[in-house]
Amino acid sequence: MTDKATEILAALGGVANIIDIEPCTTRLRSEVHDPAVVDVKALRAAGAHGVMISGRVVQIVIGPEVDTLASDLEDLL
Amino acid sequence: MGRSVLKYVRVRDHLRALVTHELSEGDPIPSERLLCEQFGVSRMTVRQAVDALVVEGLLHREQGRGTFVAPVKVDLQMRLASFGEEMQRRGMEPSSTVLAAETAEAAPDVAEALEILPGERVFSLHRVRLAAGEPMAIEQSWISCQLMPGLFDDDVPESLYGELRRRGLDPDWGEETISAAEVDAQEADLLGVPAGRAALRLTRRTFSGETALVYSRSMYRADRYVLWVPLQAPRRPLTPRTGTAGSMTARGSGTDEVDTRTRGGLA
Repeated sequence: MTDKATEILAALGGVANIIDIEPCTTRLRSEVHDPAVVDVKALRAAGAHGVMISGRVVQIVIGPEVDTLASDLEDLL
Repeated sequence: MGRSVLKYVRVRDHLRALVTHELSEGDPIPSERLLCEQFGVSRMTVRQAVDALVVEGLLHREQGRGTFVAPVKVDLQMRLASFGEEMQRRGMEPSSTVLAAETAEAAPDVAEALEILPGERVFSLHRVRLAAGEPMAIEQSWISCQLMPGLFDDDVPESLYGELRRRGLDPDWGEETISAAEVDAQEADLLGVPAGRAALRLTRRTFSGETALVYSRSMYRADRYVLWVPLQAPRRPLTPRTGTAGSMTARGSGTDEVDTRTRGGLA
């Protein structure tokens, strides 16, 4: 589980790229400094069921385990 | 121009309140003449107001008889229940007309939604969904053949969710998007409404745990359905601990400044 959080954080460009991360029911919604360094393939490989990028907001489809994942991410931030 | 628009809105909103709070299904609305007098407006303005509510589906016109209050729309919650389950819960007997039930190669969009490769075999089911005998929606669904072997071998199952559960694949979460649409000539024919009528286009992915089960695209009659969505205040976002003091207070207006600071702090 923590592995998934680590992989997702790395694919988002690491802690340095994160402005914030918000768990939203089935998605992680993250605002990043530089969307160009977000690695969509790596997010899918980490188990994301979809990735939408709009401006600096990255939405990652996770499913109901998003809350657990968010707690894991909080430890890493 | 501006003034006449406001007049029409006043009549329309008066009628809307009347329809939703005082009249019942099938009741006639007040006559055009009465509304003209009451609001001091022309017949054209009254007709414009009534037209708007006919389009909205609150009123319906009957040739030569008048204008009446339309049946209340079905309020459909955005949640992971099937059409059949939702109608049954409301005491409306669900049924389907199967337009096509076949296996096909997954198109790229279907493959992506089902997390399989384009060209893999999928079951494709195209149905008109009826409630109490009335056509309500058109639904297309796709399921990976590998996931549900023999799905169409006997009869087409009446309920896809029911069949999934029988096979131990309980739909437990999903995502749905809703957009506005107009029905084309063929859809109009299937739904029994005039072409060009408003519809709700629902696109849904259904999952069981990490497995994508069903991809479906539906067209619901907007004159018979409203969607309701429970709302919650957003959760407090998580922010990196480093540089938190700056990013917590200055977000929104001075975003660029915050960016620099946060980046600087981590470099």
